[in-house]
Amino acid sequence: MNVMTENKLTERILSGSEAKLVSLAGNASARKNALDEFRRMGVPTKRHEDYKYINPEGLFRLGEFMAKANVVRPVTSHDVEEMTIAPGAAKVVIVNGIFIPELSKLDRLPAGVTVKSIADAVVSDAIAKKYHSTIANDSSDAFIAWNTAMNESGVFIHIAKGATCNIPVHVVHIASNEAASTFHPRNLIVAEVDSSLNVIESFDSIGPVKTLTNVVTEVMVHKGAKLNHYRIQTEGDAAHQMNTTCVVAESGSNYCTYTFSFGGAWVRNNLNISFTQEHTESHLYGLYVTNGNRVVDNHTIVDHAIPNCMSNELYKGVVDGKSTAVFNGKIFVRRDAQKTNAYQTNRNILLSDDATVNTKPQLEIYADDVKCSHGTSTGRLDEDAMFYLRARGVGEASARKMLVRAFAEEVVNNVPDEAIKAYLDNRLNHLMS
Amino acid sequence: MISIKNLHASVEGKEILKGLNLEVKPGEVHAIMGPNGSGKSTLASVLAGREDYEVTEGEVTFNGKNLIELSAEDRAREGLFLAFQYPIEIPGVSNINFLKTAINEIREYKGLDPIDPKQFLALVKEKQKLVELDGKLANRSVNEGFSGGEKKRNEIFQMAMLEPTLGILDETDSGLDIDALRIVANGVNKLRSPERSFIVVTHYQRLLDYIVPDYVHVLYNGRIVKTGPKELALELEEKGYDWIKSDAQNAAV
Amino acid sequence: MADKNEILEEHISSEYKYGFVTDIDTEFAPKGLNEDIVRFISKKKNEPEWMLEYRLKAFRHWLTMEEPKHWAHLDYPAVNFQDISYYAAPKKKPTVNSMDEVDPELVKTFEKLGISLEEQKRLVGMESKIAVDAVIDSVSVKTTFKEVLAEKGIIFCSFSEAVHEHPELIRQYMGSVVPYTDNYYAALNSAVFSDGSFCYIPKGVRCPMELSTYFRINSSGTGQFERTLIVADEGAYVSYLEGCTAPQRDENQLHAAVVEIVAQKDGEVKYSTVQNWYPGDKNGKGGIYNFVTKRGICAGSNSKISWTQVETGSAITWKYPSVILKGDNSIGEFYSVAVTNNMQQADTGTKMLHIGRNTKSTIISKGISAGKSNNSYRGLVRISKGAKNARNFSQCDSLLMGDKCGAHTFPYIEIHDKSGVVEHEATTSKIGEDQIFYCNQRGIDTEKAIGLIVNGYCKEVLNQLPMEFAVEAQKLLAVSLEGSVG
Repeated sequence: MNVMTENKLTERILSGSEAKLVSLAGNASARKNALDEFRRMGVPTKRHEDYKYINPEGLFRLGEFMAKANVVRPVTSHDVEEMTIAPGAAKVVIVNGIFIPELSKLDRLPAGVTVKSIADAVVSDAIAKKYHSTIANDSSDAFIAWNTAMNESGVFIHIAKGATCNIPVHVVHIASNEAASTFHPRNLIVAEVDSSLNVIESFDSIGPVKTLTNVVTEVMVHKGAKLNHYRIQTEGDAAHQMNTTCVVAESGSNYCTYTFSFGGAWVRNNLNISFTQEHTESHLYGLYVTNGNRVVDNHTIVDHAIPNCMSNELYKGVVDGKSTAVFNGKIFVRRDAQKTNAYQTNRNILLSDDATVNTKPQLEIYADDVKCSHGTSTGRLDEDAMFYLRARGVGEASARKMLVRAFAEEVVNNVPDEAIKAYLDNRLNHLMS
Repeated sequence: MISIKNLHASVEGKEILKGLNLEVKPGEVHAIMGPNGSGKSTLASVLAGREDYEVTEGEVTFNGKNLIELSAEDRAREGLFLAFQYPIEIPGVSNINFLKTAINEIREYKGLDPIDPKQFLALVKEKQKLVELDGKLANRSVNEGFSGGEKKRNEIFQMAMLEPTLGILDETDSGLDIDALRIVANGVNKLRSPERSFIVVTHYQRLLDYIVPDYVHVLYNGRIVKTGPKELALELEEKGYDWIKSDAQNAAV
Repeated sequence: MADKNEILEEHISSEYKYGFVTDIDTEFAPKGLNEDIVRFISKKKNEPEWMLEYRLKAFRHWLTMEEPKHWAHLDYPAVNFQDISYYAAPKKKPTVNSMDEVDPELVKTFEKLGISLEEQKRLVGMESKIAVDAVIDSVSVKTTFKEVLAEKGIIFCSFSEAVHEHPELIRQYMGSVVPYTDNYYAALNSAVFSDGSFCYIPKGVRCPMELSTYFRINSSGTGQFERTLIVADEGAYVSYLEGCTAPQRDENQLHAAVVEIVAQKDGEVKYSTVQNWYPGDKNGKGGIYNFVTKRGICAGSNSKISWTQVETGSAITWKYPSVILKGDNSIGEFYSVAVTNNMQQADTGTKMLHIGRNTKSTIISKGISAGKSNNSYRGLVRISKGAKNARNFSQCDSLLMGDKCGAHTFPYIEIHDKSGVVEHEATTSKIGEDQIFYCNQRGIDTEKAIGLIVNGYCKEVLNQLPMEFAVEAQKLLAVSLEGSVG
């Protein structure tokens, strides 16, 4: 019975997709295969362990995101300006999953840094061709398959061996449409040996129309490269986001990722990091601030397949209103990954009786000479601290704000870029007033 | 007591001891001094039988037995005690239980019956006083949550309990303030006897103000390059190790 | 490295010492499962109609369910439910009134297990008395100290006896904590359960001795499906112990038990188990499939349920002793040591469901993995909306011995009330070579050193066990882990 209805739902979602597929760039048969894979798997239901708390199927049951007409609601350069995070950054603007050169500002990029539409790159660029679809290669992930089939555009960022990019590359994702719809931006970032790069991906929406952005970003970090990768999600209440980031990191590299989820009705982040060579290091930071009826779900996987690697993860959440926050962190230490150091911490503050936190920090360990730990705590604001502040004359509201800010600050303080940190501080002030 | 001849030892393929000779007779206290990285702690570990250290050449005779062939526990049972530079924490295992197990294992090796529990407790009380160890520490887990000074005192307390014939103190003075140093040294001095010998490994002379050695050896580059009376320690304190290094280098040329 | 592997090898070959088979004249039900078998079991036990109805309802429900296989971190071939005999009983009278009537082979069996069925032998002093209900294969063979307990109004008897003697209590409580619809194995148990223990502590009574049930699988080709029901009425207290072993056989035998605990207002139940079912040989042949549903409800305010388990046996363990914290100020505790070795697999943990106000729960889980085994902690802590000021603290540690085993932690934490505070910590470690060297240097050999370190690691849990059990558990840990270090 269920299988039938699920198939029907998937078919409804996919109607017209085959026809559209033909017009898209890249390897047509790969797209067709991916579409078949998605059809076979269907939209995950809450019976799927990885989606038990957020039920993507429920979104589609409501009949949303299925408009066929993609009528772009125009985006102006003023709109883009409003979305500035780090002044002076190179900007790539992607509206409804399409790279818009006219709105992008790439003239200040230094030598050795290439930024272009991925639709072009997968046809003309050897490196893009080499890595495209090889990093986000989990064949059991329906959303990756769907994106692989249907993506129209996105950005390809490449930094040459030994190059340093002195300004951040800011990828501005904007959902702006006149009809409810789903977009599939596809990005690829390749940092060559010993290069150094900062990438900001921001996600915004314009207008009241419901949208679903199913974005997939593949990241290749070569030996000795340093990549700071920010995801700043500040979409409006009509926006939904399925964000998949897959990373492969080589030896001596340092991949740091910062995920800030401040907006959007429904946000799911899948962040998967694989170490394929020894002496690789990665830091994962996340901060989610939720209220209203919002749902934010962070799933992270750090796959230690190789010895002598280090990962450190800190995710914190401030959960208010009737919102739901989910954290699911998995540290996987495979048989040969001796001398692994892997740490994971998730802390949450619940500010409302109607809010929910579901957290599941997991360790799967198959090697014995490792140092792994995880810890999680969830609770309300520290009442003793509240009382202390009030006894010093600080009003309840200010005291609460102060403590919540201090709680959130632990994540923000790990941001190395001062401009981005200032932006985040400002944003947090705004959120908490 | 112990006779070390032409001892060569390496760690992970790197040779640290390069032909070391040392003879310790019953009742003697030998101090081993030397600059950082000269092989002092390696010597202590090799004698105690740590597995990461490989003896590649030479021989060590301990009370007439070939020490190198013995397992770490059998060396302990034969009466060799190492006071660790960094004592190990064993969560959940009480000091008392640990010591009782150790004593009974040693007694079994010697063909003796397990120690009478009352006698054991009396012994604990007596020996605790030796290093002014708080009675409560005996019931805590081995070294867990101990301060640096408490850990070192606990080492000497264990030595007092196990009554070895050769005590090796590996930088026991490191990280101790002057009061703790005095307590530890007093404990050791009370354990000195005509039958018991000590090898005191230290970087600084100040420990030797309290534990007065019969001989001072300078270890440099894996060999003993100078041996002298206790005054040698003072000379080293005053002049540092550089003159030893250049002497040794000149000798090598 | 070679040395370590040798030691590991030695450990892996350490023998299961309860693997003997007793030659007892046994009566079986034909293999397979259908309504006739359910009726056969009920008839064998001369059960009232309502009991048969309950079994049939459970059986019909079971038929509609799917065998759960996908979510637990376990891997094993499907169980053929038609290849099991669902009833096996020693032929002599299943219940006996004096020792003379017990099959001497049986008495010997339990003595070999260190369990005496003779009350006199246990009367060493009032303090150390333990009342025992001995269950072999499907039936309870002997319950000791019944009379002493009866004086206090305490009921401690086999489940079958309780169905006849105390139908009102059974009907009130059976299935009230674990309904037959709960899960696949609970449904199966509800349909075919053969016997088990029942204990009821009346209002205000503190049970003067430990109550204990000893389970033993003896026959081949059978499963064991017992049910335990413990009720502590208002202000009552009982400490209950469960032990289990099985012979060494090449086949996999199924053990699917249900344990229900009810603690009324101010009532307290402390449930301790040392589980030592045959784990299979070192290649993973044979061993018990231990699929057990254990759950308690703190029904009244200020009540408390505490689970302590030491798990060393079974080829596969699937078990989550849980507490529903319904009464205000109620307390749930879970202390667990789970050891897996060779090819054993364990997926075990707990659920703490906070419903009442000011409820507290503590979870201390110590997993030890050796050989090629896999050991998973899976736990759920749920703070329901309205469970004001609920508190949970969880500590889940894993110790790995050797580089071929796995240790996994899957804590599910769901918080629906802002006044709740939940903390979870987990670490993974191995026995440090420096710790072993330190012990060696003090004259303690490696075998003993591991015993010391492992017992130290498990101390918080072992401390929760009653004295007699703690000693047994320590020995068991030493036996099953001697020398297994990586």
